[in-house]
Amino acid sequence: MLSQLGDEAKVLAGGQSLIPLMKLRFANPSHLVDLNFISGTSYIKEENNALRFGALTRHAEIEASPIAAKIPILHDCAAGIADVQVRNRGTIGGSLAEADPSGDWATVLITLPTEVRCLGRTGERSLPLSDFIKDAYTTTLAHDELVREVVLKVPPKGGGGAYLAFKRSAPVYPTASAAVQLTMEGDICKDAAIALGCVGLTAIRPKEAEAALRGQRITDKTKSAAMEAARIAADPQTDMRGSADYKRTLAAALVKRAIDIAIRRAAGQQVEVSHIYA
Amino acid sequence: MSPEADKKNWVGKSLPRKEENRLLRGRGKFSDDIKLREMLYLRFIRSPYAHAKIVSIDVSGAEALPGVVCALTGTEVAQQTQPFIEIGPDPFAKIKDYPLAVSKVRYQGEPLAAVVAESPALADDAAELVQVDYDPLDPVVDAENALTNKSILHEEAGTNLVWNGIFEYGDVEEAFRDAAYVVKVDHLHFHRFSSTPLENNVVIAQWNPKDERIYYQCNNSFPSFAIQFLAAHLGVHIDRIRVETSDIGGSFGIKITSYPQMAVCALASRKAGGRPVKWVETRSEHITSSAHGNERTFRDTRVALDKNGVITAITSRHIDDCGAYPRYEPLGCVIWSQVFPGVYRFKNARIDFSQAVTNKCPVGPNRGYSRMQHLWFLERVVDICAYELDIPADEMRLRNYIRPDEFPYTTPNGCVYDSGDYPKMMQLAKDLIGWDDWKTKQVIARKEGRLIGIGIGTTLDSGTNNFGQSQIVNPFLPYSGNSQGANCKLDIYGEVVVAVGSCPQGQGHETTAAQVVADVLNIHPDLITVRTGFDTERNVHTGFSGTYASQFAVSGLSAVHGAAQKLKAEMKRLAAFALETNEDDLEFGTGAQGPETRAKSTGKSINYWGLANLVNANSAALPPELYELTLNCRYIWRAPFKVPDTKKKYGSLTLTYAAQLHMAVVEVDCDTYIPRILDYVAVDDCGTVINPPIVEGQVYGATAHGIGAALMENCVYDAVGNMLTSTFSDYIPITAVNMPNVKYGHIETPSPHSYSGAKGMGEGGAAPIHTISAALQDALFASGIVIDDSFNNADSLFRALTAKEISQADKLVKVEKRV
Repeated sequence: MLSQLGDEAKVLAGGQSLIPLMKLRFANPSHLVDLNFISGTSYIKEENNALRFGALTRHAEIEASPIAAKIPILHDCAAGIADVQVRNRGTIGGSLAEADPSGDWATVLITLPTEVRCLGRTGERSLPLSDFIKDAYTTTLAHDELVREVVLKVPPKGGGGAYLAFKRSAPVYPTASAAVQLTMEGDICKDAAIALGCVGLTAIRPKEAEAALRGQRITDKTKSAAMEAARIAADPQTDMRGSADYKRTLAAALVKRAIDIAIRRAAGQQVEVSHIYA
Repeated sequence: MSPEADKKNWVGKSLPRKEENRLLRGRGKFSDDIKLREMLYLRFIRSPYAHAKIVSIDVSGAEALPGVVCALTGTEVAQQTQPFIEIGPDPFAKIKDYPLAVSKVRYQGEPLAAVVAESPALADDAAELVQVDYDPLDPVVDAENALTNKSILHEEAGTNLVWNGIFEYGDVEEAFRDAAYVVKVDHLHFHRFSSTPLENNVVIAQWNPKDERIYYQCNNSFPSFAIQFLAAHLGVHIDRIRVETSDIGGSFGIKITSYPQMAVCALASRKAGGRPVKWVETRSEHITSSAHGNERTFRDTRVALDKNGVITAITSRHIDDCGAYPRYEPLGCVIWSQVFPGVYRFKNARIDFSQAVTNKCPVGPNRGYSRMQHLWFLERVVDICAYELDIPADEMRLRNYIRPDEFPYTTPNGCVYDSGDYPKMMQLAKDLIGWDDWKTKQVIARKEGRLIGIGIGTTLDSGTNNFGQSQIVNPFLPYSGNSQGANCKLDIYGEVVVAVGSCPQGQGHETTAAQVVADVLNIHPDLITVRTGFDTERNVHTGFSGTYASQFAVSGLSAVHGAAQKLKAEMKRLAAFALETNEDDLEFGTGAQGPETRAKSTGKSINYWGLANLVNANSAALPPELYELTLNCRYIWRAPFKVPDTKKKYGSLTLTYAAQLHMAVVEVDCDTYIPRILDYVAVDDCGTVINPPIVEGQVYGATAHGIGAALMENCVYDAVGNMLTSTFSDYIPITAVNMPNVKYGHIETPSPHSYSGAKGMGEGGAAPIHTISAALQDALFASGIVIDDSFNNADSLFRALTAKEISQADKLVKVEKRV
């Protein structure tokens, strides 16, 4: 259908981004193809140590899911996206396909081994999230291709993560966000994945910050090194949410806090966090 | 109050609001709920430029779209109407202010044409088809730059200076000569923000060609002001304009200035052959082009203090930015002087006040209107002086507050503060917040490197203003005093019906008016129907009727009280005749047949139906000497004001002075720079409280608005006048998740100026802005930073603490010690 309708047709999932753009008349699609009536596109399953999310699974469903709760970083994200109304409509597949630089899901999922399964006229393909998102608002999805499923590996034993985003009120995009997923063995960090959101065209992996933690005992010094590396890796723009310099500093501060929470969670503690408000 | 009423005393009770049932169940009627037969929808075409000549407008494409009924341009409007009345004197009285821009646009978002169509979506489509050619002009976005007159907004005026006046009292020179300390503050800036009512502006207008009458259903919050402007502008008798308001979802003053849009809707309706035309403002239109609050810069402030830190004189130069059109605004040039010395005792002062136009959205009354800027300035000055003289902020205030035994207190400019007890409010606030405890915690936290500040803000909410102060701005204006009308009647079947000329937006007027009448007649408030919402055809309004400027408890309820007493007097005469007794023998109450009047001597009674029936439906039974009774009593309450001395700028400008004392503990996070309110107390004194939960609710509302303004809400323009905060993604109104837990306390110092001891309230003096600035200041003084702006967020605090971009104390503040 999309190939018939041509380039001006748009796919409607939850409408989290498209509806506001249409309301402001920035987007003016010739046709809307509503996916919401396709059955079997919303589910959360656990299979072979992996979680599978149907593309149209709503943020609110993930927030309430006991399966998703096994990976706390998913709950951090799902529970804090925009406001209740948006969480009831917005979908995980739609968020990834939109590739908004300020979107929450890409930042979180990129710290987990995540595969995006896409479906097009020529069949199905699966690719890592890091290859799926190419640039701001740009993915490898063809015009007549849809996200079908998001698959992510359950972190190994000793895994702990946290996602923190600072936003000024519920419906607005975060000023900056940070996702941290650690694998701990005692007090040694075996592996670390960090992502920064809203401070670049896509979610940024500050590799040097990860390297600063990997194989180390986490101390104030290693945390400071990770913060500094994150600050340098961030590549934000000045806008009404904050100046570029401030956003770098904020992203680094959020990394530090997320590390602390991730460590506590890796040790089995229950820690409730979500988006931070001014 | 009658002696019977004293026993019951509905006034002062926590009576649940009569409005609750309707509003909380979603059964309110708001303007956009109104759908009329053959109704059309209007959409404005707005300027993308801040300052530009309009070279041409082509509406033919829009008019050709099926479903479009007509289009209207500024040129057409100018041919059919007179420019709006200007409040200010020459040269600004000469400007040509039309509701659609005619030859040039003066702010981004200014409407210059309108299209009218069969549906809102068609009107939106049509608006996109209007072609406009602009020739951009130099934009002026800063008031101080505007005063250089390099680029003139209004050629007819020939200057960007709207108004200038020197407010000088006492002997300033002597005070500075004798001062032990002189503190100089180079500049301070109060930012531009607005109100975000849940409901935007809505206008439905029908200009009926059959009887040449204009019927408005809208949510304007000062309709009697609007009709005076509209009648002159549209060239119709004021009696031909009917304005009706229904439930209103918040105004905070901002909806006073919707009369230009009201004018366009009426003209559009006439052009559309008399079909009703509805305009529903979008949120972005509201943020960019309804009205903003006044932005103000305070320059070259000098403060004289004695050796004890008592302020003896202040001189300063204030520059107010009113946006592109002054409209209501030159009043803001004098309204601040209602609270000239704030809560302080200094007698000598000179304020040089100027107002300039800029290429930004016009400003309008915004909760705390014109006074909050000045009160913020005074609170900043007090904190800066306290710090420089090493006096604790609370002690500094106690040394400078007007003392409880000085009330009624006449200010240097002749205002009379009715009552108050600021030290008592401070003590209550300290008890509620745990002042000593926080002081200890602060010391410990500072040792840990944390930035914690404790701030105090003391403010005034002056209510029931003397419109004579407008003559200080323009001596030729025909306004003075203040009045409100009310009507109280027994309807044919004896129902008590009260009508007031107010248009409440959540202030509970139906409830408080019923409480007042219930006390007069000694009946239950549920037996009283109160008609609020303005309707010119109820004939209760005066030229000042509306809901604005913290006054209903005084002006509105005094009018209701007067009307109820007038009705009671008539009922007495009638009952004395019916019960064959004298008036002194009568008592009011409720009997077996409902509300009634009883003869104490005989025990005979007549109920309200019986009384009403005698006048309305059984009049042959009435003796001619009672023919003058109508049981339909209109009463106009007038505030006891004189016209101020306009040369000396001296006189009583407001009747009551409610006070607020807020305290906040704020921490600036050392990593994220996010300011977080750790504790917050709001202590209020609005004299005798009519209905405690209604007062408390308004205190919470004003507190939320103020916290939002201090930390989140800021109207930002770039250097060429683009508004950068035109949606809720960038203009962030405060919501419940951002609110701290507010501890509320109150004291009552009854006002001698109102019949009930109540003072007007609701605006709240923007106390949180002053308080949060003070708390941040307390947190940052040690870092050498002076809070010189009323708006502070994580980003600006980050800049202050890292780059020290915000003024460093040594540059901004200078102290001369002469002891």
